[in-house]
Amino acid sequence: MLQYLMILLDDTSTSYCHYNNEKSESKLISIEDLKAGIFFGMTENLMIQYVYPSHALPAEYEDVLESIDHSKIMPADNPNVDEADVVVFNDWKQMGGFSYSEDVSYVLRINKSDLFEQKELIADTIEKVTKLNVVITDVETFSDEDFDTYKGVLQLWSEKLEQLYAEGKSPLLNLLTDRMQLEEMNNCGAGESNITLAPDGKFYVCPAFYQTNSDTIISPAFNAGSLEEGVHVKSAQLYKLDHAPLCRKCDAFHCRRCVWLNRKTTLEVNTPSHEQCVVAHLERNASRQLLANIRKHGQFLPQQEIKEIDYLDPFDVKEEW
Amino acid sequence: MNSLKGKKTRVIIDSGRQAITGIVTGFQIAIREKGFSNDNITGIIINGNVTIPKDCITEIEVVNPSKEWNNGQSKNITFIVTKDCQLACKYCYLVGKNTRERLSWEVAKQAIDYVLSHEQDFQEESVVWDFIGGEPFLEIDLIDKICDYIKTEMFRLNHHWFNSFRFNFSTNGINYDSQKVQEFIKKNRQHLSIGITIDGTREKHDLNRIWKTKDGFSPKPEEEKGSYNDVVRNIPLWQEQFPGTGTKVTISSADIKYIKESVLHLYSLGIHEVNINVVFEDVWEEGDDKKFEEQLIQLADAIIDGEYYTDYTCSFFSENLGKPLDKKLQNQNWCGAGRMLAVDAAGNFYPCTRFAQYSLRDKKAWIIGNVHDGIDKNKLRPFLTLDRCTQSKQECIDCEVAEGCAWCQGENYDAAESPTVFERSTAICKMHKARVRANNYYWNKLYRKLELEGIAREEADKHVKKSNFQEPC
Amino acid sequence: MTKKLVGQVTVEEKNEIQQLFERRNGLTELAAILTPEKEELYEKLVKDMGETGTKFQGWWDSMAKKYQWESAENGNWEINFETCEIFLVTP
Repeated sequence: MLQYLMILLDDTSTSYCHYNNEKSESKLISIEDLKAGIFFGMTENLMIQYVYPSHALPAEYEDVLESIDHSKIMPADNPNVDEADVVVFNDWKQMGGFSYSEDVSYVLRINKSDLFEQKELIADTIEKVTKLNVVITDVETFSDEDFDTYKGVLQLWSEKLEQLYAEGKSPLLNLLTDRMQLEEMNNCGAGESNITLAPDGKFYVCPAFYQTNSDTIISPAFNAGSLEEGVHVKSAQLYKLDHAPLCRKCDAFHCRRCVWLNRKTTLEVNTPSHEQCVVAHLERNASRQLLANIRKHGQFLPQQEIKEIDYLDPFDVKEEW
Repeated sequence: MNSLKGKKTRVIIDSGRQAITGIVTGFQIAIREKGFSNDNITGIIINGNVTIPKDCITEIEVVNPSKEWNNGQSKNITFIVTKDCQLACKYCYLVGKNTRERLSWEVAKQAIDYVLSHEQDFQEESVVWDFIGGEPFLEIDLIDKICDYIKTEMFRLNHHWFNSFRFNFSTNGINYDSQKVQEFIKKNRQHLSIGITIDGTREKHDLNRIWKTKDGFSPKPEEEKGSYNDVVRNIPLWQEQFPGTGTKVTISSADIKYIKESVLHLYSLGIHEVNINVVFEDVWEEGDDKKFEEQLIQLADAIIDGEYYTDYTCSFFSENLGKPLDKKLQNQNWCGAGRMLAVDAAGNFYPCTRFAQYSLRDKKAWIIGNVHDGIDKNKLRPFLTLDRCTQSKQECIDCEVAEGCAWCQGENYDAAESPTVFERSTAICKMHKARVRANNYYWNKLYRKLELEGIAREEADKHVKKSNFQEPC
Repeated sequence: MTKKLVGQVTVEEKNEIQQLFERRNGLTELAAILTPEKEELYEKLVKDMGETGTKFQGWWDSMAKKYQWESAENGNWEINFETCEIFLVTP
């Protein structure tokens, strides 16, 4: 059931996820489409999230934007970033000297190479924020060697988190703390619980299907209707968990299950790649260990149990399912 | 779920086990109480679901391996040698046939080198090297060179497939008696399997299987020329060289009225196995199901009254058809796409030929790699995790006659609302239901006849030749 | 020509002779295309043909000894790979 409407205010609105926005020229959503999108959100009872570009919007948009309760997702270099509910760092260098706020969630989009090099910077940031979401932008390129390196990085962050929790603080780092708190799948929900309205006045399964151009990935099939016709997600069943054979029995509950990344790597929106599964399971296992370590300092999430498993890719044990 | 296929052929179940469940494919198995002889067989399952209840000390033994070569446990590697054909069959699903895209020796060699040098990724016991087109025998020189190279390389590399391989061809039969094809057959006789397509009577065959024009186009209706004579003249030679080989017949809307006479005609040509199926594409018109059922019932009467059932088969009639399917125990995919490998002139790999661009009307080719970079295993994951229920609509899952209802993964992909293999096309639904009704009629009539002749049902197998054909995917 | 059922082997035994049969056929067809100029491969082929032939005959000898099948002058045994049955074929 749809719950969220993401409205891309401009073609150059920031990515807050795995994909890189390939649109470089500004094209604002028209005032008329913005109003119609807001009206649609109100009539369908959807929570609206605006996704901003790096530049400021014309003044005439302000009143329209404020006509409905909403959240703001802004890139860190937007001049009005102090109004954001979610701030996106598209480059780790933007984090230096940034003034963090307790009420804001932060997204760091980073490739694996930078992630491995800047692991200390990220560890230091954890204690400065309430919630940090790290999004790896090239998960599909992980090699076996990268998996090992990543395991070590997660270990470093886990030690930092354990120390902070022992001190009575409770910062959130999506890759390690989400799984500790979840008892069922909590994925991105593109095409199922959320839909995107793009500046062209059309709906898309998620922003990536509008802001990227690859011939082999993108298809008109991922257009999901228009303001005139309403939302129609094609092959809508594929976005539901029960239609994802590898995921429906998986307990890496925190995994984004990014439908765009799935499409990119396996050609199916409901099937994750080997690399995606292994990375999610390394995080899951590190979360399990973190949970055990925090409990050494006192009672913590007593009802939660993350079982020990002997695989990293559910594909390898699919016959047993 | 435990598949018995590929496991040891003898399974002892301990009394302490809750139950054993599994799907049997490619085997007939007998279930008998442990310690008793063959006289105590309590049941036989052919290609079906096995559930042995708790506390039943039971022995399962394979009693009659499938006639399918190596029980179907082989890898199929398909060379699309040409996208050209002499014919312009009206029902041909290959929408992108052309004379330009011919497999080169260099690409074929690279594909063979890739496959044989990655033995760890191809652990199937056996291999079928498949050659398709268009019409494969248009490229007999290339095929001959490829086969020589495959044999030599498998031997040189001590590859395990040298002990178990076949070369397989589906041909329109026109060039079958040519000197080059005959020399090739002679040279590779022990490892060859060749199927010639003939659709039935002259009228039925020529309705669809027509020559294309000299310019390579489909002819105007008034200029159509059938290919029956050019094929049928080669049937005796083919049956002499490959006795017992069946032919494959495809039924589209316009062919329904010819089914009975066509099958009987093929029997009269000495073809004992007629493997026949309706096309998966959405071509069916109002009332086709009724006409289809009538034809099959007439065919059933002819086969039974003429006692053809003792030595001839028609795959429309199968005992494993028309029952409900269990959501968990019978949830396997029908089609082998993803477990096969196809390569075309561009050197691209596909999960089956139906995913190459020339086979697709509305979707982009599903390329899983190429001869230079190898196979991208991520692009095979959807195929290897695909099950029946996930791709089926609720009406198919709940269907009372679901067993035997086939699908083609490529057609599903082509017909789907979005680019996915997880969306089953139901274009043949009413045709399947018509087939089930006629099939029920056939077996009820046949068993009653045998019973009246004093042959008990459990003895009937000795008097009825059964088809091993599975609908193509 | 007459054909008489004289015994049956196990599936494992059948698999063994079927594999040897397939290999022998493969080697025979390979021999038709390999020339002595490809010296190394040709020698490997000749050696393998000898070894496979020996194993092939060895299987029949040991099975005949094990099962004590009926035999006949000028007759030979045949195996049905589908049923594992052994037939005595006489002219």
